[in-house]
Amino acid sequence: MDLKERAARLNERKEKIMGMGGPEKIAGQHAMNKLTARERIDLLFEPGTFVEMGILAHHHSSHPGMKNKETPADGVIAGYGKIDGRLACVAAYDYTVMAGSMGESGEKKVGRIRQWALKHRVPMIWLIDSAGARIQEAVGSMFAVSGSLFFEEVVMSGVIPQVCAVMGPGAAGTAYIPALADFVPMVKDKSFLALGGPPLVKAMIGEDVDENTLGGSKVHCETSGVGDLEVENDQDCISAVKEYLSYFPSHNRESPPAIASADDPDRYVEELLNIVPGDQRKRYNMLQVIEKIVDGGRFFQLKPGWAKNIITCLARMNGMVVGILANQPMVQGGVLDINAADKSARFINLCDAFNIPLVFLMDVPGFMIGSAVEKQGIIRHGAKMLYAVSEATVPKITVVLRKAYGAGYYVMCGRAFEPDLIVAWPGAEISVMGPEGAVNIVFRKQIEASPDPKTAREMMIGEVRKLIDPEIAASHAYVDDIIDPGDTRRVIIRGLEMAKNKEIHRPWKKHGVVPV
Amino acid sequence: MFQVLSDIAGVVIQVLVAEGDEVARGSEVVILESMKMEHPIESGDPGRVAKILVAEGDFVEEGQAVLEVE
Repeated sequence: MDLKERAARLNERKEKIMGMGGPEKIAGQHAMNKLTARERIDLLFEPGTFVEMGILAHHHSSHPGMKNKETPADGVIAGYGKIDGRLACVAAYDYTVMAGSMGESGEKKVGRIRQWALKHRVPMIWLIDSAGARIQEAVGSMFAVSGSLFFEEVVMSGVIPQVCAVMGPGAAGTAYIPALADFVPMVKDKSFLALGGPPLVKAMIGEDVDENTLGGSKVHCETSGVGDLEVENDQDCISAVKEYLSYFPSHNRESPPAIASADDPDRYVEELLNIVPGDQRKRYNMLQVIEKIVDGGRFFQLKPGWAKNIITCLARMNGMVVGILANQPMVQGGVLDINAADKSARFINLCDAFNIPLVFLMDVPGFMIGSAVEKQGIIRHGAKMLYAVSEATVPKITVVLRKAYGAGYYVMCGRAFEPDLIVAWPGAEISVMGPEGAVNIVFRKQIEASPDPKTAREMMIGEVRKLIDPEIAASHAYVDDIIDPGDTRRVIIRGLEMAKNKEIHRPWKKHGVVPV
Repeated sequence: MFQVLSDIAGVVIQVLVAEGDEVARGSEVVILESMKMEHPIESGDPGRVAKILVAEGDFVEEGQAVLEVE
């Protein structure tokens, strides 16, 4: 056989493998309104840029259940390609081949592409659509050798962006891939994540539950917080992955990609004067504020359906990437609870790891108090947020729109937490607590002793209220300025430009004792 | 029949509906005060108010029912 013939046979073989689990299985995948792994990859990368690795991989199992079984590409497609001109690696599980189950050869491929992503400092993307470990190959105590993918994910964390799109099932150990990744979009009604699927749950604890109720996209994007974004379908999912990565550098030693902006950096935003109500107790939608101040009104929310009392989003200001952390007065008055603290701490860590400056839009009545939240460990969760904001050394810009109370002021990057610029809007309330709370504590005895306690209390509240005025903080130079709200965009952009070359050195340590 | 639950612990400062009133999805039914803010509680679905379970001045826990709607 000459080389020409050999090449032709090779190409023919590859062509067959490209057909994945065969037309029937592909039709089944489409019938579920799901794209195949190869179609997903085509959407992900610029045309002609995908380079596949390990296409010839196949199972080698001698298990009776695997006899005569074809596993094209061993059920996972691995390789690299370009998104917006930049390289990224992918491992796309192929549900048409034994339900995307993870076999030995396939995992060798994924391991290699993962290591390649780390070595060459480019993002790693998983497209999960897998029944989990291929039991025929995995069951038994050979399990003792497994687990390195999670170990490696931890090693890679904060070095390269890690994205795990859940586009089908991801049961058992697979669920830790998204758990350790930075960004986890989940396709509505198609994705599923749980440490144990329904049959195991039934066998182990006797609970009858279906996949969607146990670990569907709604559960994880609204209740558990494991998912970052619930998306309608596969197309939206791939778009979300691309949009997310557009805000990130390829690795942690690069700056995030700045672009030219057509939006005037000095734009005066008159609408801001109307969005925030004069009555300090009334709510408003902080998303409107964000939309008005970022470039082109465009921003990308992470975890928009979970812990909605805090907003975490990526956007650009004068072309520069920023991570915005903003209290949401529309939901629970913007009070911080355990999930809000958790969501915030994670977002701050994410931005800090990848050199994304942080903008804090503060309107926070404080941390929730009371017996319910103490039992949930609000102190521990609050400490986590305090820790993250202190550890972050990226440029930090703080704008106090309205309320800035107690530890809420600290965790939203108050003066002591090294903001490079901290400004307030007129009428902002920066204080350890509100006048009512303060009077109840400080003047309790005088009020009780007064012949008219109600009037005495009102009077004292009035006196304390006079002490809560941002001009007092500004007159002591504790805030850098009080600004016209309409100038917020301009002020933030100037601050970001000023802080561009920020360099902070802290005492050497292996790592802190992170409150988690 | 469903219950409208408070999403935060606080004190009832206003009950905006009476028994027998029709409510739409998203109608504000009770205003709580908590943590220096007013918190309107909204009905999750449309219906008719069957029973009001709280009065002005009451403390309610997060997750506590404030109304029954049918």
